[in-house]
Amino acid sequence: MAGKSGRSINNVPESSVKRMIFSWEGILVLIFIAVNIFCAMFSEFYNISSLLRQMPVYLAEVFLMLPMAYILVLGEIDISVGSSVCLSATMCCIVCNMNAPFIVVVLTGLAVGTVCGAINGLILTKFTELPPMIVTLATQIIFRGIAEIILGSGGSITMSNLDGFTAIAGKVGQVPYILFLVVILAVIFALVLGKSTFGRRVYAIGTNRLTAYYSGIHVQKIRMIIYTVMGTVSGLCAIFLLSSSFGANTTTGNGFEMDAIAMAVFGGISSTGGKGNIAGGVIAAFIIVCLRVGLGQQNVHAQVILLIIGALLIAAVALPNIIGQVRRTVKSK
Amino acid sequence: MEKKSLVKKLTGSREALLAVVLIVLFIVITAINPSFLTPKSLMDMLKNNAVTMVMALGMLCVMLVGGIDISIMSTLALSGMSIGMLLKNDVIEAAPLAFVIAIGIGMICGLVVGLVISRADVPPIIATMGFMYVFRAMGYLVSNGGEWAGAAALGSFKDFATTKFLGINCVIWVVILCYAFFFWFMKWTRTGRMIYAVGSNASAAEVSGINVKNIKLLVYVIMGLLAGLGGALQVSVYASAMPDMQYGGEMDVIAACVIGGVSMSGGRGSVLGALFGSLILATIAKALPLIPFFDQLWLNTIKGLIILIVVVMNVVLQRVADKNALKGREM
Amino acid sequence: MSEYVLELKGITKIFPGVKALNNVQFQLKPGEVHALMGENGAGKSTFIKVITGVHKAEEGEMFLNGKKVEFRGPKDAQAAGIAAVYQHPTSYPHLTVAENIFMGHEIIKNRMIQWKAMNTEANKLLAQLDADFDATAEMGTLSVAQQQMVEIAKAMSTNAKIIILDEPTAALTRSESEKLYTLVDKLKSEGVSIIFISHRFEDMYRLASRVTVFRDSQYIGTYDVNGITNADLIKAMVGREITDLFPKPEVQPGEEILKVEKLSRTGYFKDVSFEIRAGEILGLTGLVGAGRTEVVEAVCGITRPDSGKVYLEGKEVHIKQPSDAMEKGIILLPEDRQKEGLIMSWGLGRNVTLPTISKYAKGGINDEKTERNLAKKLLEEVDTKAVDIFQPASSLSGGNQQKVVVAKALSQEMKVVIMDEPTKGVDVGAKAEIYGIMGDLAKKGYAIILISSEMPEILGMADRIIVMCNGRKTGELGREEATQERILELAMEKGASK
Repeated sequence: MAGKSGRSINNVPESSVKRMIFSWEGILVLIFIAVNIFCAMFSEFYNISSLLRQMPVYLAEVFLMLPMAYILVLGEIDISVGSSVCLSATMCCIVCNMNAPFIVVVLTGLAVGTVCGAINGLILTKFTELPPMIVTLATQIIFRGIAEIILGSGGSITMSNLDGFTAIAGKVGQVPYILFLVVILAVIFALVLGKSTFGRRVYAIGTNRLTAYYSGIHVQKIRMIIYTVMGTVSGLCAIFLLSSSFGANTTTGNGFEMDAIAMAVFGGISSTGGKGNIAGGVIAAFIIVCLRVGLGQQNVHAQVILLIIGALLIAAVALPNIIGQVRRTVKSK
Repeated sequence: MEKKSLVKKLTGSREALLAVVLIVLFIVITAINPSFLTPKSLMDMLKNNAVTMVMALGMLCVMLVGGIDISIMSTLALSGMSIGMLLKNDVIEAAPLAFVIAIGIGMICGLVVGLVISRADVPPIIATMGFMYVFRAMGYLVSNGGEWAGAAALGSFKDFATTKFLGINCVIWVVILCYAFFFWFMKWTRTGRMIYAVGSNASAAEVSGINVKNIKLLVYVIMGLLAGLGGALQVSVYASAMPDMQYGGEMDVIAACVIGGVSMSGGRGSVLGALFGSLILATIAKALPLIPFFDQLWLNTIKGLIILIVVVMNVVLQRVADKNALKGREM
Repeated sequence: MSEYVLELKGITKIFPGVKALNNVQFQLKPGEVHALMGENGAGKSTFIKVITGVHKAEEGEMFLNGKKVEFRGPKDAQAAGIAAVYQHPTSYPHLTVAENIFMGHEIIKNRMIQWKAMNTEANKLLAQLDADFDATAEMGTLSVAQQQMVEIAKAMSTNAKIIILDEPTAALTRSESEKLYTLVDKLKSEGVSIIFISHRFEDMYRLASRVTVFRDSQYIGTYDVNGITNADLIKAMVGREITDLFPKPEVQPGEEILKVEKLSRTGYFKDVSFEIRAGEILGLTGLVGAGRTEVVEAVCGITRPDSGKVYLEGKEVHIKQPSDAMEKGIILLPEDRQKEGLIMSWGLGRNVTLPTISKYAKGGINDEKTERNLAKKLLEEVDTKAVDIFQPASSLSGGNQQKVVVAKALSQEMKVVIMDEPTKGVDVGAKAEIYGIMGDLAKKGYAIILISSEMPEILGMADRIIVMCNGRKTGELGREEATQERILELAMEKGASK
């Protein structure tokens, strides 16, 4: 029953070179360069080797951005990640101080994170009526609360055996291991979201959940996987965090959820779902990391840095909306 | 049939259920420790939870329009710290002026948050997450990088929390006045009903001539105002101002509302519910140390669990109610 | 005094890029019921919004009782005595009926809302409408028909002289529609003028004295209802005569493919059984709320039935979710294209291949080239009026969107295709094309279940018709024995005995 009107429908995509240059990612690259020039101008210590040396502390948070991007693309949010990091780090320290081999410590961290994520996923997929915001808000208190109980009245713990952690804080030449891991994971997460069937389905769910369900997509299974991976990655984040802090306390991982969300949103991933890609998120993440290193070198107070990132997060969401509104009013005139 | 009517009652009048829970809690705790149910102990409880109780009213408004605000305790810290420093450096002295300044700062914070949410369409959770850090950092900056304003520095201001009027502490009077005002405001004024209308169906409200954006702005300004008031109360009750005060306290306020039956998706909730919700939470916090095994360290975990259980229970009860309604359908 | 209560002349409304109304005119006589008809997208809704002050027209004049008026917002129109009742009541589900009625013009004394006075007044209005609920009831607990009644009470409370009813019967059952007709008659007798928008000819004949037709944002004409025929109206609405609306092919049904046995889901439907053969079109009809959609949703795994069995080609199957159904060759094309059928912001191609991406992916990575070729082939097969496969689904008309939904089903090997109200909101021209596709599918040996509320469609396309009422199958009719009257009788069986 070939088309009766014989109409032909074009299926050749436009060349994407032009689109790439004028995309948000293109702008982000420019911002990245600008930030680095800025930092180099104002801090005499800012250069590639100091950047590579001071970067690892902040890189651990970049891990969190990767699965957070998936959650945002789903149109959801997870604000419990900072607390999962805290709980994983605490458990790692406890296991480490029991003289367990390093691999067991690492597995503990990953397992605790995974369980935290799976708990979120389980509640959200069993009670689909619940908004992720309130559930992860509750688990945020619970995970950190459990860490508080474990840490006891002192509220902190230090590790006695640092061998494993100093090993993973090592370097190839000047490049720290963690940077390799960040890049490898970023490539994997980007490929899966951008090119794979799984990724396409994530976008479908984030844009129109009902249509996705009617089209035979296992919506709840995919949500469950993503929240669980979010947990696993926060375990990973905790392990690398320990490799520079060698201990945990009740404030470990405070505000990490905001950093991860800020990186993703600044990278052009829509907070309402369905839009954005990992590449943008990664560039944005490195902008923030460089900014932190640069500002840190100038002895800018940690609170001021948080202020800047908070403002950046709000501006990243608000500005495109405002520009859109202005454009619409101009057009309608 | 009996079971069905019970379910109906539970879902029907949330306030009645909450009152029952509160009374049961009181009885149980008094049985464990008779010193709980004395006027002094109750007054202390109210005074120590005044901040949460007052701010629950603002959160009620915010959640009624389907929003959320997790920046409130940073607003509280900023406004509280500001007056603390002003009093410490002897710029101001009079307590009323300190209150006005704290409320003013809170309102400005709320206005900024409200503008970003209502005019730039930033999702409330993201906007307030950002402002949570921005305002908290500003509090630190105001405090010259972490200074405290201790009891000595606060002068006569701290006396507010120890003064009594008609035998009741002034702080509790503030709480009573706030609740009385909001009870009237939410039920009997047009603006109050507009908040409900916007939360129930924003697009319909738009069509019937309600300025939805302004109502959304208004609730965040109210929230900011109450956070500012909370800042002044906090400084007065604890006789000190520090930049990290009430860190994480927004969870208490949200928990109070959630327990009080305020819906996360907007449109449903009442002043009475917020009152019972915050009282239940305060009672649990007060009672926890009285129970063997649990100690103060467990408090946060239990709060989180309560929020989780309440929201899950809501869903389960709704499902049961829906199912019963279906069974009743004739075929 | 002017001859018309409301007159609009030369109204032009421009949205960025489109002329939504082009030099349109309209006259409403005092106390008349005036139907406004036209295909979807003809400009009716925009026109209503101009009257109610929601939109401001770029050109044109509006006269109220002969006096020129200009509305700056909905409030002005309300004050002038114009009220609109929409298809989906724009109510506040969490508030009481009284509050809904008085929203925006509450009874206020000393800056306090007078709850008692409002409840009394609201109950008075509801009594006039013979309503069976109280003013203190929560709006969300009422049925759609009851909610519409509240909306009408709201219009009366503002002393509206002109009431606009926008597709009020679309969501109503037959008996509820009857009730609405009586209500409209009552309002008319009280001197209220009514503008009535509907796709149902039935509504128009029953209520209106005159009918105005819009087409492609333009005014076509105003006619007396007496002496006009369906054919005349269709011609006015689409601008051409539709021949052979139902190209039902003669197909010899083959083997039995799907068999449903005593399927039940508490509260929705009970003991529903039917079977369908290859090449057969099975009509499933009944009034809105009879449980038709719910039955097929249970068959496709969207919801779970409580009891009953489903057999596919003689073997019992257990379908737990939509993907199971698709694997086995059953697909549901849902009624709500925008919410359930398509991802409106996505390109057509991605929409078409969404259910099947994993089939041609290599190692989990999408093969975009194969995908694009397949999308092109399928979209051309159903003759979609589109330029390329990358344009968003939202850029198509309702009829073409429906074709994309059909193409989605064709992207995989299917045995049973279930179409839920495939022509809802589709204009007459595109309807015929969709019937054509349906016929082609049947010829190819697909078993098709067609759910529809439109009697001519069911009678024209189905080989066999199953009628449901109140969650039960009340009858099955062959193509020859089926008549409009017979179907209606079965569809209202239970309702009539109540």
